[in-house]
Amino acid sequence: MIRFNDVNKWFGANHVLKDINLHIQPGEAVVICGPSGSGKSTLIRCINQLEPIQKGEIFVDNIQVNKRATNLTRLRSQIGFVFQQFNLYPHLSVLENVVLSPIKVKKIARREAEENARELLERVGIPDKADDYPSQLSGGQCQRVAIARGLAMNPKVMLFDEPTSALDPEMIKEVLDVMVELAVEGMTMIVVTHEMGFAREVAHRVFFMDEGQIVESNAPDAFFDHPAHERTKAFLSKIITHN
Amino acid sequence: MLSHFNFRVILQYLPLFLKGLWATSWISAISIFFALLLGVLACSMRLSSTGFLKKTAGVYIESMRATPLLAQLYFFYFGLPTLHINLNEIQTGILALSLNSGAYIAEIVRAGIVSIPDGQTEAGTAYGLTYLQRMRYIILPQALGVTIPALLGQFIVLVKDSSLVSLISVLELTRAGQLMASERFMPTEGFFTVAAFYLVIYFVLKYLSTLWQNRLIYREP
Repeated sequence: MIRFNDVNKWFGANHVLKDINLHIQPGEAVVICGPSGSGKSTLIRCINQLEPIQKGEIFVDNIQVNKRATNLTRLRSQIGFVFQQFNLYPHLSVLENVVLSPIKVKKIARREAEENARELLERVGIPDKADDYPSQLSGGQCQRVAIARGLAMNPKVMLFDEPTSALDPEMIKEVLDVMVELAVEGMTMIVVTHEMGFAREVAHRVFFMDEGQIVESNAPDAFFDHPAHERTKAFLSKIITHN
Repeated sequence: MLSHFNFRVILQYLPLFLKGLWATSWISAISIFFALLLGVLACSMRLSSTGFLKKTAGVYIESMRATPLLAQLYFFYFGLPTLHINLNEIQTGILALSLNSGAYIAEIVRAGIVSIPDGQTEAGTAYGLTYLQRMRYIILPQALGVTIPALLGQFIVLVKDSSLVSLISVLELTRAGQLMASERFMPTEGFFTVAAFYLVIYFVLKYLSTLWQNRLIYREP
């Protein structure tokens, strides 16, 4: 579903992704963790070309992303993206936030789009907030709207960029519950997160990134119980002792 | 002071003032319309990554902001006919007012656009919207929302600046005051009435901008 072949990216002189190779199967849920500045957010932002890459190839569903001829609008409409800071449109109601792209990009009729949006809001547990504005919602509710906005495009892949990092602790669970449900239903997802409970529960694989490289990847139990690399051990010992 | 006012003469000149008020209103309205169009266009050119567009918009904005409106007005009034472009006085006035105000509006809108967080553009991009769609549905509604007070200020400046077209003999509000002042030698009454009518326009504009703002700006809980 998603394939990286020797992907390299620089921000100026800063080499942020180094020879990344990975292959993610349809229906797979992958968690990427690692210290800040390790390139994990950049990695998933390259998948929908929010960030261009300088070397290598990225394929989504066998379509090469980093090619001039690729229809990026079409590609992006198949990839849901959830931001750390939600990035909801503050001037639009919750419902309008969800239906904007289906109507304008996928050219779906408004009635159908709204019906679909209400179903999705129901699914993320906030059907009664459709006519509210983002400023009236809590962080957890905002993030669930953002997930509904992603799902409204009926994507093949959902990407999550630290979806719970900007949330108050008591709101993290409500967002994770929605994500767990998605993973169980078989959505292909890549999640950048430090929620290790989530990783253990639903991830098929966990990647550890450091200094622009994927240092280690393994099934969650093996990853957490028997990390192979010193760097992984050091990282895990730091975050786990504080849990 | 009011007790010395000759209201009878003001009343006598009222039809002229109303004619002037009407002219000022529609000249300003048309100029505001074109200035907004020009402003948004110049602003998007200035923000574009194409060097040529960026520079063209820069030259336009700087030259308009750096020179007096009166000089621009005379420049178009006397200059265009030598290029065999014949506009009447009113058209010349609208042209100068729109071009001048458009440059200021471009900068106001630009400030509004750059104040919108990058995340908004990223969200729009990630969800497949094209540049124009992002502008139309995400960025401009928010940018215009926060710039409405500044835009209102610019519109009011334009209405007051429209008094300058009286100097190329367009009969508008200020011209009506000048006529009364010179025919009856009553400058106080004449220009006081003119000022009062400008105040009326101001309140109408302010009311309209509040309506507009309520439609566009962030909705607070």
